[in-house]
Amino acid sequence: MKLIEGKIGFCYKVEDMALEKLIERRLGALGLTKGTKLYLLNKKGGSLIFKVRGTRLAVGKKIAEAIFVEEAAS
Amino acid sequence: MSEQLNVGFIGNPNCGKTTLFNAYTGAKLKVANWPGVTVEKKEGAFKYHEHSFKLVDLPGIYSLTSYTMEEKLSRQYIMEGEVDVIVDIADASSLERNLYLTLQLIELGKPVILALNMMDIVEERGMEIDLHRLPEMLGIPVIPVSARRRTGLDILMHTVAHHKSKIQQCVLEHHHDKAEGVTKGMHQHQHHHEYVMVYDDVIEDKIDELIQIVRGNFEHVENPRWVALKLLEQDEEIIKKYPGNYNGIIDRSYENDIINQKYDFIEEVIEEVVVNKAKMQESTDRADKILTNRFLGVPVFLGIMAVVFFLTFTVGDFLKIGFEYGINAFSDNLLKLLVKLSASDLVISLVIDGVVAGVGGILTFLPNIFILFLALAILEDSGYMARVAYVMDGLMGKLGLSGRAFIPMLLGFGCTVPAIMASRALEDKKDRFRTILITPFMSCSARLPIYVLFSQLFFGKHAMLAAYSMYVLGLFVAIFVAMAMRLFTKKKEIHTLLIELPEYKTPNIRTIFIYVWDKVKDYLTKAGTTIFVASVVVWFIMNFNETGLTTNMGDSFGASIGKIMVPVLKPAGLGFWQVVLSLISGLAAKEVVVSSFSVLFHVSNINSRAGQDILVNALAVEGFSAINAYALMIFCLLYTPCVATLAAIKRELHSFKWSLFAVCFQLFVAWTVTTMFYQIAQIITKC
Repeated sequence: MKLIEGKIGFCYKVEDMALEKLIERRLGALGLTKGTKLYLLNKKGGSLIFKVRGTRLAVGKKIAEAIFVEEAAS
Repeated sequence: MSEQLNVGFIGNPNCGKTTLFNAYTGAKLKVANWPGVTVEKKEGAFKYHEHSFKLVDLPGIYSLTSYTMEEKLSRQYIMEGEVDVIVDIADASSLERNLYLTLQLIELGKPVILALNMMDIVEERGMEIDLHRLPEMLGIPVIPVSARRRTGLDILMHTVAHHKSKIQQCVLEHHHDKAEGVTKGMHQHQHHHEYVMVYDDVIEDKIDELIQIVRGNFEHVENPRWVALKLLEQDEEIIKKYPGNYNGIIDRSYENDIINQKYDFIEEVIEEVVVNKAKMQESTDRADKILTNRFLGVPVFLGIMAVVFFLTFTVGDFLKIGFEYGINAFSDNLLKLLVKLSASDLVISLVIDGVVAGVGGILTFLPNIFILFLALAILEDSGYMARVAYVMDGLMGKLGLSGRAFIPMLLGFGCTVPAIMASRALEDKKDRFRTILITPFMSCSARLPIYVLFSQLFFGKHAMLAAYSMYVLGLFVAIFVAMAMRLFTKKKEIHTLLIELPEYKTPNIRTIFIYVWDKVKDYLTKAGTTIFVASVVVWFIMNFNETGLTTNMGDSFGASIGKIMVPVLKPAGLGFWQVVLSLISGLAAKEVVVSSFSVLFHVSNINSRAGQDILVNALAVEGFSAINAYALMIFCLLYTPCVATLAAIKRELHSFKWSLFAVCFQLFVAWTVTTMFYQIAQIITKC
């Protein structure tokens, strides 16, 4: 499923990303790569906040739609 | 020992790097740009015991790759050996993400010291860090500091002085057993006592092979392991610098693997050294529940901004009374002194009507500007600014912009120059262009004196409302322009928000003081230079014509210049040569519009009751009414920004053509909106 379909308060594991190389690299530097676990904190009109590698990231709709995740145990 | 140590400060954005930097250098720092780019470079020198240090504040970055200007710059600066010691500042309260940069820095092979900042917050929130185990695992000195409480500062510099030549590292102790499914390579690697970061055998094999090739091809490679790693990441800069036949070794980019393995190692470190991690994030989560709430987020933000503007006007106006009194007294005494010295009328006119009227008029607005910047500094330092980007992302998305573009717009309320520079954080070039084009419509503090003056003159008890309406109008014009531009761009949905939300913290008084002082100093410098010169120039062209000194201003150079433009601005309700002239002089700095008015109408203190009465009467004689005043306010809000802003736009766009376009575009918008307002207002009042 897409990250944008995730529910607040749940944990997900990144399966795949279909993003521009540049954005994928920036996410990588922030600790979000394939296989990373994240915890969804907040959703608002397509943008969302999640916790990953000990920090909070806010991403827009375009990114949230291009990250494919699978539910994971927290 | 007298040699100077070059110390590079580096760290993630929001790690408190600037606060720490300021703690050492105070406000005495040299701010310049890095050569060739518009990234700010801050330098400061200071002495500690017998050592002298030169601190360089490198840009806040998340990693040392070469994808952004800031990253490239920092990497190059460190690699070229201009830094003796690197101080890596990490936010101890979010160590996990911060250690990623640390690992990359260690791999560069220069002396690195890890400064664990925000230790006070860590303690406050019941989290603990094993400061014995951490340096053992990383192989570098780790010094706990708190830039806010100014603790650990001496120890950090002491370590810098004694660590400068120690490339050789302390004992490294770790297991690297965290990585899942470690693949066994050709041979077992035993690097754990040599390197902090050891990769899985597949990568280590490749590193070994690459080191061989690189060493063979290039004689002087300082750090072949790092080069090998960068080659595996397919770093464009390094591939260019160290070309070779790596076929068979680099079959794909190993960047993802390298990132993941670094983070796996970090996880291992965190597990060993951090106790009670979850506890401290709770308070931020609780605050975010309200501040970024899908329903409350926007109203809360609007409420905060309303309070900011309310304070700017009320507290600012209150403080202004003292200022006015001072300037009045100064002007009177100066006049008496000049008369006593039997100075000629020309000199008296130049000093009193030109300089004091112009510069003094501007100084009285200092309190308003002080409050506005104070508020913006608090919002930024507390960590709320990043939330604004998230909260506004939905709305900005409708305009085809990322929520991040809202930060430059918000900063634009303070000063357009840094706001334009902040647009650099947007990756997309088109997004950046559109943001740069609309940011000047956000009313900057230099335009505030114009609103304050004319709304006080013409709108009595509704003055605050009239001034506030300018901010709203500016916002609407910006939104409208952004939407219109969106229609012309074919590619839709290009916006993407990607921003880190830092933990909330109590704003630091020192950081805020330095930030505000910086802006106030700018304002004062401007009053002493640009506005001083502009006032003298305006005074000159108002009092002279081709035959020399003239007593009738209507015959002066200025009048002739103004009169040429009068027909153009007549439909906008601004067809007065004095107004035209002050608008032209306002290109130097928007405040000059006000000082020009004082010079043009011989008002020594434009902010005093008496001064304002003179001005209103003088304007009434010319047929300048409340509608004209409002039209003037609108025009000042929207027309071409000041020279400093134009220079910033030119720098950011790297294009003369597009900068010129921006200038013409803003003039066009200003004229159109003002004319629309004036014509409609005329019709309504006639009915």
